[in-house]
Amino acid sequence: MPPRESVSHTTTDSATDPAAVLSAGPAPGRPVPFFTQAASFEEAWPDIRARVSEVIDDGKYSHGRQVGRLETALAEWTGARHCVAVNSGTDALVLLLRACGLQPGQEVVVPAFSFIATASSVVLAGGRPAFADIDPVTYALDPRSAADAVTERTAMLMPVHLFCQMADMGALAQVARRHGLTLVEDSAEAIGMRWDGVHAGLLGAGGVLSFFPTKTLGAIGDAGAILTDDARIAETAAALRHHGRTGRTLAHFPGISNATELNGVNSKMDDLQAAVLLAKLPRLAHAVRRRAELAAAYTERLRGIPGLLRLPTLVPRDVATDAVFYVYLIEAERRDALVDHLAAHGVGTETYYPVPLHLQPCFSELGHKRGEFPNAEAACERTVALPFHPDLTTADIDTVCDLIRRFYTGRAA
Amino acid sequence: MTGPGTIPFFAPDLFEEDREVLLDLVRRTGTAGEQKFILGERTAAFERALSETLGGAEVVACSSGTSALTLILTAMGVGPGDEVVVPAYGCAPLGNTVANLGATPVFADIDPVTMVVDPAEVEAAITARTKALLPAHMFSVMADMPRMREIARPHGVRLVEDSAVAQGGVLDGRPAGTWGEAGLFSFVQVKTFGTAGEGGAVVTEDAELARIVRALRNHGQEGQRFVHQRVGCNSRFDEVQAAFQLHRLPGFPARLERRARIADYYTERFTPLGERGVVPPPPGRNGRCHYVYSLLADERDALKEHLAAHGVSSHVYYPAPLPHQPAFARFAPPGRQWPHALAASRRQLAIPINPHLTDAQVEHIADTVCAFAAGRG
Repeated sequence: MPPRESVSHTTTDSATDPAAVLSAGPAPGRPVPFFTQAASFEEAWPDIRARVSEVIDDGKYSHGRQVGRLETALAEWTGARHCVAVNSGTDALVLLLRACGLQPGQEVVVPAFSFIATASSVVLAGGRPAFADIDPVTYALDPRSAADAVTERTAMLMPVHLFCQMADMGALAQVARRHGLTLVEDSAEAIGMRWDGVHAGLLGAGGVLSFFPTKTLGAIGDAGAILTDDARIAETAAALRHHGRTGRTLAHFPGISNATELNGVNSKMDDLQAAVLLAKLPRLAHAVRRRAELAAAYTERLRGIPGLLRLPTLVPRDVATDAVFYVYLIEAERRDALVDHLAAHGVGTETYYPVPLHLQPCFSELGHKRGEFPNAEAACERTVALPFHPDLTTADIDTVCDLIRRFYTGRAA
Repeated sequence: MTGPGTIPFFAPDLFEEDREVLLDLVRRTGTAGEQKFILGERTAAFERALSETLGGAEVVACSSGTSALTLILTAMGVGPGDEVVVPAYGCAPLGNTVANLGATPVFADIDPVTMVVDPAEVEAAITARTKALLPAHMFSVMADMPRMREIARPHGVRLVEDSAVAQGGVLDGRPAGTWGEAGLFSFVQVKTFGTAGEGGAVVTEDAELARIVRALRNHGQEGQRFVHQRVGCNSRFDEVQAAFQLHRLPGFPARLERRARIADYYTERFTPLGERGVVPPPPGRNGRCHYVYSLLADERDALKEHLAAHGVSSHVYYPAPLPHQPAFARFAPPGRQWPHALAASRRQLAIPINPHLTDAQVEHIADTVCAFAAGRG
């Protein structure tokens, strides 16, 4: 690995940084990976094996019977009228935007702080991303900044629900209504999150789910889905994922010769991935509760440590909301030095996200400058995600939190 | 008659022999210490192994053959205002990948017997806006790639080889996929080197093109994670599929040979049927890929029914030329016709050729086709 670029104004010079001295010492606990689900997978293996065996019995390995069952099960779990399984969360975004009718040259307002797919999906669907700043507590699209980003070319508004809670969907729905915009949700991370009882992705025209392996419901490869209550959007997305072919294609080989109605793509989901997801789905509600407990354990141990600028904070809304801890993200002084310190002691972290979308090299043509979206830029300099996964134990959390305390105070708890 | 005795067209028992291997790979992938599921060491090893079968060409594994084609065209800079010459008869991605980049597919008619694109039609379709030629290998016959090279060079246009169906095919000693500036394979299960899911690969001897495709398949990242040099997509390859393909690779030549032998036998039996309205593909092994064995039959639907009545499933691949389908209507100039593509779409019928067929099944299929033709003499 090349050395991490320092984003913040910090130094890791050993003469001035007590952490560098500590890094040289022996690790106080066992290594804690950023992500693993190995033990949980093994625990679920009898169910996974049974499902994968069914795939082999059926003899159709993509877009087959398990994929159809997963669509039904996810629709039931989320309350969506329609679920369309695809190859990835990114593909789900592209096909959702296309199915919602995005036209070439139209703009979609998106937050400047997110995974690249939030903005690249707009480009791949033929549109242009229009960036707006985020709320500094939820890291989600700021309704006022979103309204400021609207022009006469804007067609859609796409908030993102990151880490553990949803964007302010009440205020964003108002912005969409006021400007006549289609509201779509990048809910790739948001399985289990609800706003006033409505699952993420279903507050506007539609949303998506990603089953990237680290997700709350994770496959062992790429997979994703579109959620919508709109039959026409679902039908269009379902055709687009199978080369634009209409008529029956799911679990039906001869459908490969159906007439091509739309300029579609190949974004069929593998049945092996659907089998794994179906086996894990009955455990999801329990996993969500477990994640809340683990997050609380982190917060309890980290509260009050100097140098930590923010711990995850669930914002109360005037309607009931369900939070789901997908990622445990903190803001830290000297973030990159902390990351190095943890890595030196065998603790994995992830920097979500080191560069805001408006400053990504691939969007340089849009002409944005540093300083335009200060909350997004600050988040990129300070945030770090701590180990958080299905196999995590409170002993792991003790290890991580002790290391963080030692980094900032020079002593253990 | 359909039922337990029917010989299926799409074999459902493709990986039955690999059942325990596949289950074990899923378990080992899920529980491995590394917890790396996508574009890991096994994908890299799979790319290297395929490269060795292709004289060292670069191989970039991705999510599907369709996606491979999009990655190639994107890396070549195909976009609005550009034209790409494609066959008028074939699979939807030939038109979709071009259209989805904002470019225009220009449809060229096919050879009436081999059903691959006609080089003269391709050359006639070239204009000042043509950016690339996209011939496709079709069923069991590779396109006339030496001619395509001769046409592309003086016109200064790129040559992309849609070899999605042709993995393992060899023309004049050169493997399918390596005739164009870039080629591709599809690993969807029905293909000659199908896997237990979706997958594909870009093949190219152009290192710079390979570098761009590698970045594009993983969100445009080159080097540092979460820094995106170009707008890419998610078109990655799963480790479990890479491991399965590595397991299946040593058996690939034998499976291909089985397909070729079935094709040889069929062609020997069917060549005399030409005057009775059933035309097989030409005999021979050069430039052939044996993905699908396609007949041309004057009374195609009657032949399909006759086969079904005798327990043989068959399949009509493309019931209409691409420019006749709604998705491509806007690329069909008024009055333009593709008579050979139209004829093929009315006469084409594919019969089973998968390597699991027994000799007895193959003979039964051939007997049934011959009996049909005899009744039409």
